[in-house]
Amino acid sequence: MKKIIGLVILYILAFALIVAGVFCGLQLYKEIKAESYVNGSIDISNRFSQESFKYTSTSVVFYHDLYDDTDTYYFEKDLLKTENFDGENKKYNVVLNDYVLLNCEIKAGSVYATVNLDFYNTDGQIVNRSVMKISVKFLSGKTQLTLATTGNENASFLEQYFSDNGMRLQIIEIL
Amino acid sequence: MKVLKTIANCCLVFLCVISVCVIIAFIYYHYFVKDITIGVNNIDNQVGLDIQEIIKSDDLTEEEKDELKDRYFLEVNYYSNDKGNGIQLQELKMNYFTTTSLLSTDYRSTGMQYLGDYQGLPLDVWDGNTSVKFINPFGNNDRYYGTDDNAMKIVNSYVDKSFNYYDYTNGINWNGVTNENGSIATELKRTTEFIIKIDDRAFAISLNKYFDRDVGDLRNFFGIGWKVGDIYNRYYYTYGSLFQSCMQAVKTNSAGYGDYYITVDLSSLFSIKEYDYETKKFKTDDVTDIIKTYSVLKFHYDENGARNSTQSMFGIIDNNSKYDVSEDKIDTSYWQERMTYNLDVTSKLRGEDIFAYRYSEVYDGYFVSLTMDAKKLFAEIPRAKINITLDLNATYLTQKEINIVGLDYNAFENLELDTLTIRGGTQTVYLLEKSLFGTNLQTLNKSSGITFDGLQNAFDGELTGVMV
Repeated sequence: MKKIIGLVILYILAFALIVAGVFCGLQLYKEIKAESYVNGSIDISNRFSQESFKYTSTSVVFYHDLYDDTDTYYFEKDLLKTENFDGENKKYNVVLNDYVLLNCEIKAGSVYATVNLDFYNTDGQIVNRSVMKISVKFLSGKTQLTLATTGNENASFLEQYFSDNGMRLQIIEIL
Repeated sequence: MKVLKTIANCCLVFLCVISVCVIIAFIYYHYFVKDITIGVNNIDNQVGLDIQEIIKSDDLTEEEKDELKDRYFLEVNYYSNDKGNGIQLQELKMNYFTTTSLLSTDYRSTGMQYLGDYQGLPLDVWDGNTSVKFINPFGNNDRYYGTDDNAMKIVNSYVDKSFNYYDYTNGINWNGVTNENGSIATELKRTTEFIIKIDDRAFAISLNKYFDRDVGDLRNFFGIGWKVGDIYNRYYYTYGSLFQSCMQAVKTNSAGYGDYYITVDLSSLFSIKEYDYETKKFKTDDVTDIIKTYSVLKFHYDENGARNSTQSMFGIIDNNSKYDVSEDKIDTSYWQERMTYNLDVTSKLRGEDIFAYRYSEVYDGYFVSLTMDAKKLFAEIPRAKINITLDLNATYLTQKEINIVGLDYNAFENLELDTLTIRGGTQTVYLLEKSLFGTNLQTLNKSSGITFDGLQNAFDGELTGVMV
């Protein structure tokens, strides 16, 4: 009887050993075949600066500083640094949405422009005349965009315009 | 029979010997030879594989094309309200695909929005189970649960209710409320899997990681405590953890306020599986020792506070698409806008004078007109309204020795003019044929000393008035 029990235990142990061997064999195969890998790549270096200035947005919201008594409303944005802007030696076109802006003041590292937008009601009457100043400063580490207008009403109409049409401001070098 | 038994025993012994050898080989290789394998997954843009075809479409605006090309797995919009002029708004959006075909038609986004500075859910809000323990060790949203089945069920179905959630497909965001009746929105749970693109291949990514922390097996005897061993609490990350980590990364970025990109390490939060296009199943990686997952995080960080829903990346704040904190709201409804161009002799287009001057020996002076470039430009601009001021004595003209005597043939023909102002001393200004045809000129202003010659042949409309 003892012999039979001993044999059964021996067979069970042998079976367990074989199962463990198979498991270790599979694991060994996997580990030997395992390789380090790299899926994909990340390159955001071109995201730290841009060759020419372009700003797009689906909306613009103007802010009024409570301590500013000039009733000026601003939209200010710090953007990626722009490479190679040279207002002294190169010529540029300033384009806002579908409008090429004229009478822009282009200096060595900055661009100033004025936009006059009239808004008409359904009777064809002017309901608002907005004047918006655009300033783009190309600094060593970033580009500063500022839009400014006077009065809450003008700011509200301009916000509505940009909400309807989006904003695409481009400064394009003329080659 | 005996022979067979002997052979079977021999085989068994042989197999056992082989097994022992394999086990020894495995132990030796695993502990003494094996190099650590490292897997790296870099999650870059999540633009569909068919994007080149899509951006050729004329139906899309340039802005829409830009948006299609600038799509990352993680995007943050953070209005810090440091200037105190609005509300503090934090938003996190995940852009992914709904199928492994990775096409732009399969785009979908799910976002979380929090009004204020998210600090984690207050613990008393949690309707916990007695078998579920929870603490808030780092002041964030990590929680401790048991590891039994019931606890895991609660962990895996947990959705943080302190956020507004938004889904996005085909240009519209919405909130499909999650409640006991179910949800029609993507639920951000630990079991949620997103399909993303890496190397133009499909991967599934899910936030299912945790960490264990030794809190110590403590004994206490009459107020004197000591540690006798290790006991680990298990902390499960949630989407609140991801949200808070992303906001922290944005807040501490070295560039400060603005629109920038950073690369964040998602390895401690997310696990990732590659899709096998042959078996049509996601592969489980059980041999790579360390799997690192980096992702580009695109963010907008603003020192202002959010004022209205257009500033939200979902176009909604607090489930309200008309959200606006402005007190004195103005009716801004309008039919049409028109850009007004005010031109004078110094105006330039692409660096060149916008007016052209032609010398006439007969009149001994110059006739002015708009350059062809400018005419072409204004013809292409929709609804441009033009005001022209010609100062005949302008220094700019004097320096160039240009004395204007009138408007040239077809000078401003078919250009929509609102106001034409001519300033100068006492002189006759000759308006040559069709110089103002098709202009729909409304107002003609002039200095008192100026007289016009040829107005009838030059203009085909009706003036509101000639102002002096």
